[in-house]
Amino acid sequence: MGRLRRLVRTVKVTGALLRAALRAELQYRANLFVVCVGLVYQGSGFAFIWVVLDRFETIAGWSTAEVAFLYGLRLTAHGLWVVPFNRLLELDITVRQGEFDRYLIRPLHPLLQLLTSRFWLGSFGDIIGGVTILGVALTLVDVHWSPVTVVYLLLALVGGALVESAVQLLISSFTFRILSTRPLQVATDTVFNTFGNYPLSIFRGAWQWLMTFVLPLAFVAYLPASLLLDHTGGLAVPAELAYVTFPVGVVWFGVAWWVWDRQARHYQSTGH
Amino acid sequence: MLVYRANYVTSIIGALLQILLLKVVWTAVYAGRDEVDGVELSTMVAYVTLSSLQMWFLMQSSTSMVPERVREGKIAADLLRPIGLLEQTFAGQLGRACVMLPLAAMVLPLALIVGDMRPPASLAAGVGYLVSLVLAIAIALLIGAILGLIAFWTLEVRGILFVYRHISQFLSGALVPLWFMPDWLRLLAEMLPFQAVAATPVSIYLGRLSSDSAVRAIALQAMWVILLYVVGRIVWRGALRKVVIQGG
Repeated sequence: MGRLRRLVRTVKVTGALLRAALRAELQYRANLFVVCVGLVYQGSGFAFIWVVLDRFETIAGWSTAEVAFLYGLRLTAHGLWVVPFNRLLELDITVRQGEFDRYLIRPLHPLLQLLTSRFWLGSFGDIIGGVTILGVALTLVDVHWSPVTVVYLLLALVGGALVESAVQLLISSFTFRILSTRPLQVATDTVFNTFGNYPLSIFRGAWQWLMTFVLPLAFVAYLPASLLLDHTGGLAVPAELAYVTFPVGVVWFGVAWWVWDRQARHYQSTGH
Repeated sequence: MLVYRANYVTSIIGALLQILLLKVVWTAVYAGRDEVDGVELSTMVAYVTLSSLQMWFLMQSSTSMVPERVREGKIAADLLRPIGLLEQTFAGQLGRACVMLPLAAMVLPLALIVGDMRPPASLAAGVGYLVSLVLAIAIALLIGAILGLIAFWTLEVRGILFVYRHISQFLSGALVPLWFMPDWLRLLAEMLPFQAVAATPVSIYLGRLSSDSAVRAIALQAMWVILLYVVGRIVWRGALRKVVIQGG
């Protein structure tokens, strides 16, 4: 009973902090402009693929509409992780400047305090862009829709978001030991945002294994998309992995959260 | 400058990843063909390697110091100096470019491993490339300086710079060469200065332009330098009337 009450309280407090952060951000109308900034970044990535495929028609047997489906899936999953977790990028500076002290003396999980410290409206650009591309692509691709495939698609989106969050949580947790993880976090984000948009089969076998089992990029969108579009040929990794996208995401996320908690114990204040 | 080493590491990793991905993607769309429209795959990979490197170098060097100075109120001291603000901006950009040179020398071998490179198509192509590169640098620095002046109208310019960076990278032909773009997009790119920053020098280097069209492309670059300089002067005159000294 006490546990449940604690959980309800955590959710309530987190919600209140989020609302406050959002209100603070909306004080400056110009901040709405950053939504467009996110859209331009992702839009230019998609424009590249679109222009290349306009001339070359297919990549690894995937048509423009199919790659758009992959792109929309990847971007929506990305938006689902980046809306709640974007503050993770600020962890290393928070730790370096000793600001993390504050999070330790207040009665809420420090990670939740960090995540709700500000609200970055730019993250909505990813969701808007992702849903738009995915929506248009859905009308163009040939997928056999049934209640099962719809549920699978939704779970795959959440699973993809969990996988990406997990990787970023893991990297950021090393902040407590090495104090600077932002460059690595940004580079990883770039890999997800660029390499994740293409059929995995364009990469050599060893790279495919790396992107499935080490940096689990393939689970974010590629494996679910290849299953739904029936494009599982040319893969160096077992295509059946597509069925377990969601559980894989849950496991990665659980492990990452646990590691983060353990690493946070190594926090040393800068002493001010 | 070099204090922010992490930023450079991030940008270098980003550039190398871009080269790697472009190589894989172009190899995949060529799908075993040796050449498409008379362009060999190896030429294509050399193209994206050189253009990505060049864009990385220019984007890093061309950032204007003005927005930071305005935000910190230090612009007051800059305005009192006996040298014009635009000239100070160029000096800062050139200084940054000089810092970037040894870095570029370090990144080059890595880029060769990740991507592909070859010597210039001919001696003339090599000379033409150097001339064209100098003009490309001038264009990039001028655009950077003009964008920096926006800080006199709005303090928050990071978003605008980010948008510029991505749109210009796309229209510069650094990712997709102009000859593979659909007609309407190629026309649009040809009318804008961005292609003079990446596509022109790289195309000359690889011998993709006949000597006639290379000379014409270089003349066009020179025209852009003059035009952008004039625009910079005009914007600067407008900016001067908007100066707000923060906490001065």
